[in-house]
Amino acid sequence: MIAARGLTKTYGAKPAVDGVTFTVEPGRVTGFLGPNGAGKSTTMRMILGLDRPTSGSVTVNGRRYQEYPAPLREVGALLEARALHPGRSARDHLRWLAASNGIPRARVDEVLGLVGLDAVADKRVGKFSLGMGQRLGIAVALLGDPPVVVLDEPVNGLDPEGIRWVRTLARDLAAQGRTVFVSSHLMSEMALTADHLVVVGRGRILADCSMAQFIGEHAASYVRVASPQRGEVADLLRREGLDVAVHDQELRVQGLDAAGVGELVGRNGLLLHELTLVRSSLEDAFMTLTADSVEYSAHAPARTPAGAHS
Amino acid sequence: MTVTATDTTVRLDPNRNVPGVRRPGFAETVRAEWIKFWSVRSTAWSVVAMFVLGAGLTALVCATNAEWLASSEADEHPGSFVTFGMTFAQITAIVLGTLAVTTEYGTGMIRATLAATPRRGAVLAAKSVVLVGTLFVAGTLTAVAGFFAGNFFLDREGIGLALSDDRVLRSMLGSGLYMAGLGLFAAAVGLLVRHTAAALSIVLALVFVVGTMVVLLPGAWGEWTSKLMPGNAGASVATPVSFNPNLLEPWAGFGVFCAEVAAVLLVGYLVFRRRDA
Repeated sequence: MIAARGLTKTYGAKPAVDGVTFTVEPGRVTGFLGPNGAGKSTTMRMILGLDRPTSGSVTVNGRRYQEYPAPLREVGALLEARALHPGRSARDHLRWLAASNGIPRARVDEVLGLVGLDAVADKRVGKFSLGMGQRLGIAVALLGDPPVVVLDEPVNGLDPEGIRWVRTLARDLAAQGRTVFVSSHLMSEMALTADHLVVVGRGRILADCSMAQFIGEHAASYVRVASPQRGEVADLLRREGLDVAVHDQELRVQGLDAAGVGELVGRNGLLLHELTLVRSSLEDAFMTLTADSVEYSAHAPARTPAGAHS
Repeated sequence: MTVTATDTTVRLDPNRNVPGVRRPGFAETVRAEWIKFWSVRSTAWSVVAMFVLGAGLTALVCATNAEWLASSEADEHPGSFVTFGMTFAQITAIVLGTLAVTTEYGTGMIRATLAATPRRGAVLAAKSVVLVGTLFVAGTLTAVAGFFAGNFFLDREGIGLALSDDRVLRSMLGSGLYMAGLGLFAAAVGLLVRHTAAALSIVLALVFVVGTMVVLLPGAWGEWTSKLMPGNAGASVATPVSFNPNLLEPWAGFGVFCAEVAAVLLVGYLVFRRRDA
């Protein structure tokens, strides 16, 4: 379990992380979601004792990271895949890490096989693709067989097969009873991986709830109705106490499902041309939630339609 | 690229104990730094360069100057020539010391290092042990090889020195010690500025440029600043007879040099301990 209490990090006058309190429970994947610059990486660096909190604290299974004599056997972390010397081989990189924490040499070969890098283990990592670097980073995270796994943007640079692999890996690690904390700026990715969400924007927590709850609360739905008798249909639905909005040629009805709206209209002998349940995507929900907290809003964040709709 | 199923090897056992796991101490930190140090090519290249420059230039300079040194016109001591190449070997010690620290910052690897070993004092101490050990051995061997190669030419002119000569023996070990100290000095500066080019420029300038220019300062100021500059204070222990007559006594000078290295290292450590990685 990871527990942050009033965790704050200030650079100059600007808080990067502003008094966040949350816990990451074992046995499930907790997504750490927020736009770029929201404070995700800073929070993760504080979990690993790399950055010193300005105030507040964060512990892993009850102790500060720095207090563990062999931290790689308690917390496995993928920080930046490129925290590597380009001239060193993947095997040597894992060897020095293993040596530093008293992990036997055999484990190095084991994790190399686990992430599918055994064939290129003796190549210099400077020649690795982004995806291979990311796999090596995951090998580093798993080296100490840790009960807590922290992955910062693990799918960056991975091909679709790699993305699916990370997703499965995260879920498997959680199923084994580990604490899994995965950051991403893509809601679509989190929707498929995480059981629980901690959403941050501008260093503050915007939501801390289960994925199901997040979908229920933030992904608004309505029934789209098209009818040649639009005015009469609207009057009818409003008389039934439903919330009806008129958009161009269509009506957007909230408060009843599609079947209910269809039956109501049919019983009153009115004509329908279209009747559709529309759910706004999770990505939209995430955008709405974080709209006020996006650090640099000049560029619209990329939308990944795959899997965005629930 | 093939992907192996995850659940075959990773199992969470509440009493997890991978066979052979040891509770790591300082020895493990040193071992990790040792693997790190020798698993990049620049280390082996630098050590080879030290040997070639240090021993090779000594042999070359002795071969070309032996006849003159044996003549009555000579106004230098042959003892200044048997460690001549070490002046250039200094560069490689500085490069090794700098790179051992600055590449970690340049690549972001310092985060991996401190995540693996959060005790920053231990990381710095382990790096120092590896650097000092390597440079002491490489520096001493280079000096000894240079002495034998250079002295061969001096012997032919009848002006050779004996290895058992106190000054020669002192300069052999002194070369190793001076190289180790320089490497540590460069590492400490690297820790402060965290940038390869900047750290190299500062240390090379201090040792090779500023060290020879401060003598231009007026009077006793110039004399003493020159004597106390790290490159000047530390170098006299590394040669049987110095070219420069205005230096501190070998061991006194080396003491001053060690104090300077220790001071920069201490400042580096204090900054390193507090700084975000």
